[in-house]
Amino acid sequence: MISFFTSHSKLFDQLAINALLALSLSVCLQAGQLALAQAAFMGIAAYIGAILAVSAGLPLLPCIAIGALASTLAAMLLALPVRGLRGVFLAIATIGFGEILRIVANNLKLTGGGEGLSQIPSDANTFVIYGALIIVCIALYLLSRTKFALAIALTREDETAARGVGVDTAGVRFWTLALGGAIAGIAGVLYAHSNFFITPADFGFGRMEQILVACVIGGSTSAIGAVVGSIVLTLLPETIRFLADYREVTNGAILLGVVLFAPQGIAGLWRRAKS
Amino acid sequence: MLLQQLVNGLVVGSVYALFAVGYTLVFGVLDILNLAHAAIFMIAAFATYALVAAGVPLWLAFLGGCLLAGLVGIALDRVAFAPLRRRNAGTLIPLISSIGVSIIIGAIARGIWGIDERHFPNALGDAPPIHLGAITVTTVELVTFGAALALMLGLSYVLRATALGRNIRAVAEDRVAAVLLGVDLEKTIAMTFFIASALGGAAGILTGLHYNSVTVDMGAGIELKGLAVIILGGMGSITGAVVGGFILGAVETLSVAYISSNWRDAIAFGVMFLILVLRPRGLFGKRALRAA
Amino acid sequence: MRTFLSIAAIAALALTTPAFAAGKGPAAGKTVKAGVIADVTGGAGVYGTPQKNAYELANDDIKSGLIDAGGANLSFEVQDAASDGNQVATLMQKFTTDGSAVVLGPTLSGEAKKADPIAVKANFPVLGTSTTADGITSLGSCVYRVSLSEAQVIPTTIKKTLKSWKYKTAAIIYGDDNAFTKTNGDIFKEQLDKAGVQIVDTETFHQKDVDFQAQLTKINDKKPDLIVIGALAPEGVKIIAQARKLGYTGHLMGGNGLNSPTIYNDAGPGAAGTAVGAAWFIGANYTGNKAFVERYKKRFGGDPDQFAAQAYAGAQVIAAVVKNGATTPAEICSGLKALPLAKTVLGPIGFDGNRDVKSAPVILQIVKGGFAYFK
Repeated sequence: MISFFTSHSKLFDQLAINALLALSLSVCLQAGQLALAQAAFMGIAAYIGAILAVSAGLPLLPCIAIGALASTLAAMLLALPVRGLRGVFLAIATIGFGEILRIVANNLKLTGGGEGLSQIPSDANTFVIYGALIIVCIALYLLSRTKFALAIALTREDETAARGVGVDTAGVRFWTLALGGAIAGIAGVLYAHSNFFITPADFGFGRMEQILVACVIGGSTSAIGAVVGSIVLTLLPETIRFLADYREVTNGAILLGVVLFAPQGIAGLWRRAKS
Repeated sequence: MLLQQLVNGLVVGSVYALFAVGYTLVFGVLDILNLAHAAIFMIAAFATYALVAAGVPLWLAFLGGCLLAGLVGIALDRVAFAPLRRRNAGTLIPLISSIGVSIIIGAIARGIWGIDERHFPNALGDAPPIHLGAITVTTVELVTFGAALALMLGLSYVLRATALGRNIRAVAEDRVAAVLLGVDLEKTIAMTFFIASALGGAAGILTGLHYNSVTVDMGAGIELKGLAVIILGGMGSITGAVVGGFILGAVETLSVAYISSNWRDAIAFGVMFLILVLRPRGLFGKRALRAA
Repeated sequence: MRTFLSIAAIAALALTTPAFAAGKGPAAGKTVKAGVIADVTGGAGVYGTPQKNAYELANDDIKSGLIDAGGANLSFEVQDAASDGNQVATLMQKFTTDGSAVVLGPTLSGEAKKADPIAVKANFPVLGTSTTADGITSLGSCVYRVSLSEAQVIPTTIKKTLKSWKYKTAAIIYGDDNAFTKTNGDIFKEQLDKAGVQIVDTETFHQKDVDFQAQLTKINDKKPDLIVIGALAPEGVKIIAQARKLGYTGHLMGGNGLNSPTIYNDAGPGAAGTAVGAAWFIGANYTGNKAFVERYKKRFGGDPDQFAAQAYAGAQVIAAVVKNGATTPAEICSGLKALPLAKTVLGPIGFDGNRDVKSAPVILQIVKGGFAYFK
């Protein structure tokens, strides 16, 4: 049993990191914001965490703290210019933001450019990663019991009506984006410190698409959904490896199937089955 | 050099415009961002390649490819969007749905043709380039530019002067009112997808011919650029897509020429981001679909 | 008397020389599994698929005796990483814990930087066959590679072409978002500077780009004697075709990435004369090379490219090490270290003190329908 875990520790690490990323997006989706910049926030923190470790020899926890702080600040800075955008427009703006950042990282000497940053100390072991995931989950759970969570749900359902009953929808959007940035940042530093090597391409639109798909498959309006979705998406390539050439089409078919037949995601199916 | 760069920009821009027109048509009518548009772009190029390889003359293969693209578009709507329409599923779910379909189309293309780059038996490409003073242009580029322009003019005509065009514009303006006035909603939507996808497919075929390269991931780059174009031009505006396409082509080319090729894509997305922040409706955008 | 003794000595030598003990080494009868991580699908699929093909061929050739593994039951298990960094890492971990003796791959330099450290931690040997960027073999004392790095090839490329072409000015166009093409571009720049060539313009592009007219128009305007192309085949083909279409009449040069049939098949007549600094020549007379090309062509319907040849050579190297008796990861690691020379389709190759391959680069030139040695 133990040996199963140790020989698949990489997979389990990826699971947890993907779950964190999905949670960071879920927080925004729950507020009705289609903000697709989590991959970029992840990248910002990953690079800062990696650079601090490689050039200044900083241990893991300070790297996480500083990296997550940076990504949170970035999220706050992004929140301002896009505060008037909704729906698809917000999605596109945030995708554009991510692309610009990726190209910047590609061109800077500090980040190693296209060659990436290597020899990042591998000090994020499975315990630390799962520890972070558990802490974030607990924090989100506590959040869900506050009035703020109600404000989030109201903003998602109908923004105008929410404002009408006194909800500070602008604040909701701002803080959920910032929170998303923070969680994505934690994931980013953990990713860098468990992968030895990062390049700008690791944090581009492809990664963003994966995170989005994970949230939707699991259930876009709940944190549990995000975790479930990321588990499915991370394990899927490995479990259907035997399908070899048909892996890709299976991926697409599963995605389509979930969307068409289980629009609330897997979490939604579970809820329906319970009731 | 400036003149040559402008020519380069016009050719690149004409394909951007043609691709974006299909994107914006679907968005204007249905409020859906169809992320499978790039996959249709790709499959049309492969279809034309396959026909040409089987001996079909180029112009016929081109039409065949566009026709297939249109049909795939209708199928896409039937499978991925229509069921969600009945359920009133919002904007996120159809987006994801289209991602699923684009993955499937990509996998099918890979299954049939593999990952190798395909090349057209150089029918157009063998002609020597034409030198007009300071600029050099090839037959393929002229055909690309001309075909793109012709198709966009054709679309403008359809939208402005035909019953179908009127119906499409009505549905884009106000779906409920259009239905009340007797417009066959599902048929109009199907035709919208047909036209949009045929145009996107045409863009793919022209791209494949221009660079003499057809690969399963040829849609990846243009997918995001297409977004920048429709934002610049205004979502739902055909004129905007056309003008936006040419502007983006010019901006990209000139930024390589006078700034640096390192920053080309960043500048394109930067422009897009600024437009979204400062003037989200873009150059010509309104909520309803506007004919060119 | 002396004649008799010499004949006897020769006879004794012949009877005891291992070469004549056909196919029976110390590992005879043992099963050795080598894991292969290749990007068969995904963005790098064009490079990983020839690799997979080569290993399929190698598996058959071992069974039929064309590759001599000393009678050991050596096989290569190819797993697709789908160009996904996460999958590369999980596959590397799988292979280091499932009884495999060595890993070949991964396909891309960036992937190697992510995954090789996992093998290093597990004291597991890795043999790269297509990774050419800096900083890979230095990751660990069991990380080897048969792929000539750009740093090893480019100086020779420049020296040879400079002698013939005597260019004074050059422009470089390279991909800045891929570890391989970026190293390519950087090293070309550095070495051209060293050789006293003036670099009049440097342009970049991104992976999967198809339109290079803007960059090439700018370069053409400066009229350099030579354009250096730091690209892989798909982009390289278009750059060459578009450069000629725009009217560029000077020389063209590239690195390992251009060593592919696509270049002479699809870059148009203007590609003739392009110099390519490579690690393998499809027409070389090394033992078994021409036969390999024939078998590959027959089975897969097209010429092999350098990715396929290097993968096959990797298989040959492992077979040679296994033939000498290595069957466990530790034995393979020391076996690679002690390997004097292995006969492969790349020629005779060995490893230097840094675990990089010791092999001669070959400077090629594109001619109508193929490659030839550069003149």
